[in-house]
Amino acid sequence: MIPLSYVLVVSTLLFVLGVYGALLSTNAIRILMSIEIVLNAVNLNLVAFGRYITPGDPRGQIFTIFVMTVAAAEAAVGLAIILVIARRYGAAAIDRVRMLKG
Amino acid sequence: MNLQLLAFLILSLVTLGAAFKVITARYITHAALYLALSFVGVAGLFLLLNADFLAAVQLLVYVGAITTMLIFAIMLSQVEEIRQGAPEIGFWQRLVSPRFGLVPLAVAVALAAALLQVLSTAGWKVTVTPPDPNTTRTIGQAMFTTYLIPFEVASLVLLVAMIGAIVLTMKKEERSK
Repeated sequence: MIPLSYVLVVSTLLFVLGVYGALLSTNAIRILMSIEIVLNAVNLNLVAFGRYITPGDPRGQIFTIFVMTVAAAEAAVGLAIILVIARRYGAAAIDRVRMLKG
Repeated sequence: MNLQLLAFLILSLVTLGAAFKVITARYITHAALYLALSFVGVAGLFLLLNADFLAAVQLLVYVGAITTMLIFAIMLSQVEEIRQGAPEIGFWQRLVSPRFGLVPLAVAVALAAALLQVLSTAGWKVTVTPPDPNTTRTIGQAMFTTYLIPFEVASLVLLVAMIGAIVLTMKKEERSK
């Protein structure tokens, strides 16, 4: 069996990569992708803990399914909002959309 | 080196490398395809952790639905910026500028250091058991008994998200009808 800490290190690195991408990019769609990466890292963590700390208990996996549901909903609504903004303002870069800035 | 560890190493390298390319790829379409590759890698890691049902769900939902939706949105949008999304300056040149390089990098490195520090000090009691042969049955039984209400709420969330996405992307004339 793979040691638990290996999986946790991989999921940590994946999480940090997602956060880095979300901070780095200005394209709204790429930020959405980075958030998906972060959610994936969290899922990996949940599954690993479920497998190693509470084996036989499906709690971790069930929570992962709910995270996936929310991720799918978030991607759909987020993409719709980005497309509406892009259609109306001709830009998907978050530093050029400043309608809330007053 | 045993085979499981080797598979784990390859899958995690693929996952992390693809995730890195999502951030640094020049074209946004390439980033979406690399995202799919990263999701496939995570599905493989799920398989290694004996979560076979979740691996299938990961492939269906993330690779099959979310990435496809992203690619469709990118390809169908008329805004050139979304389609290309190419930064005028290269990634390594960006790294020097404070807003687009140094600050995110510093935040990411600090976060990684803090999390790895916590990981190295934590002591978890790992119990080694043989894998559950019927993960799907176990998940299904728990889902429709203990977690029935969250399950129903999740379906409501999906419904609301679907309606919201449709309403948001409607044209103005269609909405007033």
